[in-house]
Amino acid sequence: MRITDSISQAFLNLRQKKLRTFLTTFGVVIGIGALVCMFAFGQGIQQSITENFEKMELFHYITVFSATDRQSSRFDHHDYDPDEPDLAEPPAAGDDSPGPILDDALIERIRRLPGVETVFAEIRFPILVRFGGRENFCLAQVLDAEVCRSGLLQLRAGDYYSDQDPNGLLVRDSLLRRLRIRDPQAALGQTLELCSLRIDLGILNPWKLAAIWRGERLPFSTESYRFQVRGVTGRSGTGGAVPIRSDVFLSPRAARPIKKINLTSLREFFPSPDQARGYSTLSVKVAGMEDIETVQGQLDDWHLNTFALIDRLEEFKKGFLFMDMFLFAIGMIAITVAALGIINTMTMSILERYKEIGIMKAVGAAHRDVKTIFFFECGAIGLLGGLFGLLLGIAVSLIINQVINHFAVQQGNPYMDYFRFPAWLCLGGIAFSILISLLAGIYPTYRAAAVDPVVALRHD
Amino acid sequence: MNDASWIITSDLTKVYQTASVRLAALQGVNLRLGRGRFIGITGASGSGKSTLLNLLGGLDRPTRGTISVAGESISGLGRRELSLYRRHRVGMIFQSFNLIGSYTAADNVALPLLFDGVPKKLRRQRAAALLEEMGLADRMHHRPAELSGGEQQRVAIARALVNRPAILLADEPTGNLDSKTSLRIVTQLAHMQQGQNLTVLMISHEQALLKMVAHEIYCLEDGRIIEQETLRSEP
Ligand SMILES: Nc1ncnc2c1ncn2[C@@H]1O[C@H](COP(=O)(O)OP(=O)(O)OP(=O)(O)O)[C@@H](O)[C@H]1O
Ligand SMILES: [Mg+2]
Repeated sequence: MRITDSISQAFLNLRQKKLRTFLTTFGVVIGIGALVCMFAFGQGIQQSITENFEKMELFHYITVFSATDRQSSRFDHHDYDPDEPDLAEPPAAGDDSPGPILDDALIERIRRLPGVETVFAEIRFPILVRFGGRENFCLAQVLDAEVCRSGLLQLRAGDYYSDQDPNGLLVRDSLLRRLRIRDPQAALGQTLELCSLRIDLGILNPWKLAAIWRGERLPFSTESYRFQVRGVTGRSGTGGAVPIRSDVFLSPRAARPIKKINLTSLREFFPSPDQARGYSTLSVKVAGMEDIETVQGQLDDWHLNTFALIDRLEEFKKGFLFMDMFLFAIGMIAITVAALGIINTMTMSILERYKEIGIMKAVGAAHRDVKTIFFFECGAIGLLGGLFGLLLGIAVSLIINQVINHFAVQQGNPYMDYFRFPAWLCLGGIAFSILISLLAGIYPTYRAAAVDPVVALRHD
Repeated sequence: MNDASWIITSDLTKVYQTASVRLAALQGVNLRLGRGRFIGITGASGSGKSTLLNLLGGLDRPTRGTISVAGESISGLGRRELSLYRRHRVGMIFQSFNLIGSYTAADNVALPLLFDGVPKKLRRQRAAALLEEMGLADRMHHRPAELSGGEQQRVAIARALVNRPAILLADEPTGNLDSKTSLRIVTQLAHMQQGQNLTVLMISHEQALLKMVAHEIYCLEDGRIIEQETLRSEP
């Protein structure tokens, strides 16, 4: 028997029993639809999250912590000479010795490592921005002009500030919108008033504490400073371990006069006599994700405490794997039911076509020919079920995607494709459908081929 | 092997073993049939006629004894070879026509060619030619349910002959037909038999019909041949 004949024979036979074929195939369609939909969801979530992280360049950052923040071990008076930044060998330190201090010299050393794009200290503080009678509470971040220029911040209007600029700053466009400034160009040169908050150390004074207690004054002092908008940035990664967005950027020189609470370290709440401790956190941005490992290895060799989100990616993926497995289990139940449907239908069909099988054998059909006919029928059910199941899966997921996004966007989340249909999923879905149908057809096919023509043809 | 003893059965025995009963449907049948002969088989119901035909047609295997056709042992063939024997050497027709109800007349006739891997176009041509020969040119695309009994049997004959077999086995082909139609079918069979040098074995209860066309008539009883009558010696 020719392959083409087997195929057309299969479809011919299926067409004879349209309703039954439809119902059986529908079972497969539901099963495959569910399975494909669920895989697509697993894929979509995983990819969307990974892509969004990548867009924010979160995977390009290594965060370096000062030893006290993570180990609470005592500092040595171990320091680096800023005049001798070429100190090639790592600081001699045993396992229990604290790491080096996060100061400008260390920043310089890290910056020179191959693969490192920029290094900057994480200095952020909360600030109240006033403009035209409006106020907005946001985060200010201190960045060297050079770091800004290194591609960390993309400009939408204006220019970067310079390191010498005592009162220039960059604002994010979203802050402008909150301040009702529509056009980024219009913001350039405008004066913003920044109000800083600082815990009033006067609370240590019992008299003042009493005044605070009586509600006559607040436990922090505010002070306001005037700055000019030099430039406007759009969406860009200013990462670190935690993707907090800063809305205002200014140079160390401009930030120096501001009395502030540094958000990145509780330690900064309390003034320390030992200013040589350096920064609490550094952010290291590498050129590509492949550089993370070597740079992080080097930093580890220097006994620095590091964190890279990419380390967590594997854990993330493991989490997704569990979700995928759960969804797979549900889909498999649906497909098992569909397979039972195929077995039932095909067995029924054999009983019905008992005589037909006998006739075929009498006119010369070999054992194999009978098997082929039934096998192709099962395969055809699988093919149709797979194709329409895929279409159903795509259709349903489009609807679900719209519904999820309707609510997600309302709550301020970005529009996301929660379902993905990579080629392997589409083809794999159809192939799986055919495979399951063929497996379901093994028993009926065997039964069909075993029909004894003498018995089948003896009287009606 | 020669044309005079083209089909040979020796000690052909078929025993049906059901749960408790052991039934010998055929008990040592010895036949020597010449090529191109029209052979009639008759006998009471249950005498083993169909059983004999099924064994000769390769649909079943004997419990004991051998069959050889053109010097080739049929009883020794494997499953696959037996199906090829049925496909190429034998055509069968039945009392109840045994057409596939969902196929058209043409598709029914072409069915044996399907398993032989004959291309669709050729299958169509062969089926059309045979149906035309059977006088059914205008019934090609009818389904069996839309045909009369006689027409159905002619479709069945066309199907039996589509692979140009050497042997045609007919199990009471006129059993469901009125006498006029029966006559037509039998004359048509005889015509085919002469034209294609077919060896025909036809079971029938109607002695008169057999006597019109058959060269020899065998009579079975309890699985044994009890009588043989030669009507014509010319093939
Ligand atoms: N598959 C079977 N199992 C058991 N017994 C069978 C089987 N097939 C036939 N027989 C028995 O074998 C005997 C011969 O049957 P067969 O069909 O050959 O008779 P027949 O001569 O063709 O009769 P009829 O003229 O009624 O068709 C019968 O008694 C029948 O009951
Ligand atoms: Mg019979």
